[in-house]
Amino acid sequence: MAESALKATNITKYFHDPVTIPVLKNISLDVHKGEFVSIVGKSGCGKSTLLYVLSTMDTDYEGSLDINGTLVTGKSLNALAKIRNASIGFVFQFHYLLPDFTCLKNVMIPALRLGKLSYKEVEEKAYEKLKMFGVEDQALKRADKLSGGQQQRVAIARALINDPAIIMGDEPTGNLDSKNTGIVFDLFQKLSKEFGQTLITVTHDEDFARRSDRIIEMADGEIKSHGK
Amino acid sequence: MKISVNTEIALTYLSARKKQTAVASLGVMFGISMFIFMQSLMKGTNDYFEKMSFNSTPHIRLYSENKVADNHILKGFLKDSSVKMLTNPKQLIQTQGLNNPYGLVKEISKYPRVANVTPQVTAMVIYTSGSVQINGNVAGVDIDQENKMFDVQSNMVAGNLHDLNRVNNGLLIGKGVADKLSLHLGDNITVTSGTGSPTIMRIVGIFATTIKQIDETKSYANIVQAQNLLGKDRSYVTDIKINVKDYNSAPSVAKDLETLTGYKAEDWVQANEQIKAAFKIRAVILNSVIGVLLLVAGFGIYNILNMTIYEKIKEIAILKAQGFSGPSVTSIFLQQALFIGLLGGLIGVSFGYLITLMVSHIYIGAGTLKYLPMSFYTPHYIEAIIFGILTTVAAGFFPARKASKVDPVTIIRG
Repeated sequence: MAESALKATNITKYFHDPVTIPVLKNISLDVHKGEFVSIVGKSGCGKSTLLYVLSTMDTDYEGSLDINGTLVTGKSLNALAKIRNASIGFVFQFHYLLPDFTCLKNVMIPALRLGKLSYKEVEEKAYEKLKMFGVEDQALKRADKLSGGQQQRVAIARALINDPAIIMGDEPTGNLDSKNTGIVFDLFQKLSKEFGQTLITVTHDEDFARRSDRIIEMADGEIKSHGK
Repeated sequence: MKISVNTEIALTYLSARKKQTAVASLGVMFGISMFIFMQSLMKGTNDYFEKMSFNSTPHIRLYSENKVADNHILKGFLKDSSVKMLTNPKQLIQTQGLNNPYGLVKEISKYPRVANVTPQVTAMVIYTSGSVQINGNVAGVDIDQENKMFDVQSNMVAGNLHDLNRVNNGLLIGKGVADKLSLHLGDNITVTSGTGSPTIMRIVGIFATTIKQIDETKSYANIVQAQNLLGKDRSYVTDIKINVKDYNSAPSVAKDLETLTGYKAEDWVQANEQIKAAFKIRAVILNSVIGVLLLVAGFGIYNILNMTIYEKIKEIAILKAQGFSGPSVTSIFLQQALFIGLLGGLIGVSFGYLITLMVSHIYIGAGTLKYLPMSFYTPHYIEAIIFGILTTVAAGFFPARKASKVDPVTIIRG
């Protein structure tokens, strides 16, 4: 049995507005290191909600969550921010780059926040990540001057800058054409196979899901299939 | 220099919106420069009026008051059965001088809070030159001590005040007296007091204060001359003028001296109540204007940061998703406010100095007041910067706190 990267136990969450309804019902989930997991399901089944709970950003839930064998439920917001900074990378459907900064700066900011490397080292590393996605020639342009596909690739490079143990994606390829989707998928696979990074993505793209290691199917706030 | 990532983000946001940053800084700049200008003007004016009032009035004047004697002590002691013998200065000739004046001077100068003490003989006189006569008064003084206390030298327009000690029968007259009698330096003048015989004196100096009333009546003579004028002996002294170390303590010192000597001790606050009131009114006007200016500047910063936060709310959410904690986000926005405050403050200080410098060259030309009195007082500049930074930080605090409370989940999920 491989080591656990993320373990959720009996997660239950309610939405209170306008009426209290359960969106996640007693969900338990175990993802081990180096796994590439896709979460699929119909719109409104709670898969994105689950992802945000797993990401530590949403703290309004019942149950418990362990990341890399450490219980994170109940930690302070600032402690959670540190955990996200160091060990979780995010890719969203929209790139959410900071438009006032260059692409390079956008990629560097999380690493500068972490503060483990010198400015120079961070810069080199950011270049390296941009190169992986073939956008190194855009490095010094302002983020809002790039095309949509390039922006998304820069955003993924940003998610990887701190070599996070877990990479989470909320429809990471939702805005990309098939060519770019292919590039991103290959890279994700490489990250999990070669670097042992864990990937958890929520997706509508059946093709993308099918090619990942495991598909978790969700419906009505419950897991229908763990895909094992 | 290594700058933190928070600072870098703050600076990037500021430089990405140069116009807004400039407008906010301008707001602070105006606030600060007006603060400095108003403070300098007020301090300059207050200092000038204080100096003026202390040029003619001592902090405390000790003199014998003409007063109808009252009987309340006798009444308490002897009850109603007694016959009261009261004196009235109209009917009974009293000496107007102080008893043992030089003893008093010696005693008072031992008093620790007292800086300077000088005796004076005041004589009501008539100045005569040819057939023209005008009323006035002669202050018989020790001119060196007088100069030390009231800076007589700064009012001199002709002659040398030290000649009062050298020239026999020397007299310093006001410019108004000189003009009315058309007298010049070195001319003779006849001075007659109510009690003494007419004396011919020589004009050794002419002075001009800004106060017409003084210039047209007053003159200085050696104290012995004044005693001679009045036909009095060497122990005749009408006033003792006292300057204390801290002029704000004058009222309490005056009270002590009254108890100690039994004579009337009038402090400068009593003598210049209108000046004191003017100081207070000016301070209220000044502080309210400055308060409003800083408030407006503060609102400018508050507004601009609030707008930035609305615009950047998604970016804040992303920063938080990437592991920026609440305090980091607060620091990003507070640093923007602080930078605006510093920039506006520094420009404001230089601008304030320039305005002050320019205004200090505005010609007024009333009496000894040639230019607008402005003070260049360093603590004002330090205060201005501190106030500016406090205002901007206070104005930035609420938007920054709001930014730190952005919930990334609700923003990113829409």
